[in-house]
Amino acid sequence: MTCVADSAAEARIDQSLVARALLGDDRRAFEQLVRRHQGMVRAQLCRLLHGDEAAADDLAQETFLLAWRKLDQFRSEARFSTWLHRIAYACFLQTCRTKSWAARHAQDDEMEHLPAPANAMDLRLDLARAMRHLSTAEQAVLLHCVQLGLSHEEAAYVLAMPLGTVKTHATRGKAKLKTWLAAWHDAAGEERVP
Amino acid sequence: MNPLHDDDIDALLQKSFDGPVPDAGFCDRVMQQLPARRRPSAWPLAVGVLVGAVLCSLSLFGSSLWRAAWEGWLVGEWSSSTLIMLSTMAGMSLLALGWTLAEADDH
Repeated sequence: MTCVADSAAEARIDQSLVARALLGDDRRAFEQLVRRHQGMVRAQLCRLLHGDEAAADDLAQETFLLAWRKLDQFRSEARFSTWLHRIAYACFLQTCRTKSWAARHAQDDEMEHLPAPANAMDLRLDLARAMRHLSTAEQAVLLHCVQLGLSHEEAAYVLAMPLGTVKTHATRGKAKLKTWLAAWHDAAGEERVP
Repeated sequence: MNPLHDDDIDALLQKSFDGPVPDAGFCDRVMQQLPARRRPSAWPLAVGVLVGAVLCSLSLFGSSLWRAAWEGWLVGEWSSSTLIMLSTMAGMSLLALGWTLAEADDH
């Protein structure tokens, strides 16, 4: 309940900053918006780019510049943060289509198909490895729904996917992770998932 | 051995997420790159409204129904043509009002 109230209050603050930035051409208001949301947008892009921080920062900068140009197109039907995530995801897709990042990453993926160590001790590393073996859509849905904390509806808006598809990808992705990490779980013996 | 549940996977994924990235000068870099906002000019809208009104008038005044309605209106006769004309104008005005209110609400 408190969380919902906080979220509503945050959304109201964002709306008021957007109104100030639009009506008074107030750059300081937009700066506040950048400060409030840069962390999550950069985290989103960094995850999508599999840890490539420099590329993530470039895309994040492009995202905020686009947001500044298109600010008058922001409608309060979505939270401002969700709108930013949508722009960031569109920038990411554009980069994948036009630049060499995807090709470089494809080579990295081939490396990931090497057999895993038999007794991997670090569950976090195994989770990262397992995540990379999910489909791109499943990775994106789990990132937005579970790690960034968006609702299924918000993730559907950000990823421009039908709601049912988002739910299907979330269910399938989790099922695959459960299967793969259950094997780790068996191998680890007494290790318990928190 | 307990099987993994969705909640366990959620917890693992959340734990593996490092959270928001610290600013480290990012915001300042963005603000330095921010271009001046281009003000949308009002003339295309005004020209569009004018052209639309002229075309609408030309097409309507050529219509016999509209002419009959106009003549009926001038002599104070409430014919069916006059009622259709007034209803159409009232409907268009209400639609324009609704659109304006919706746009104002969005902003």
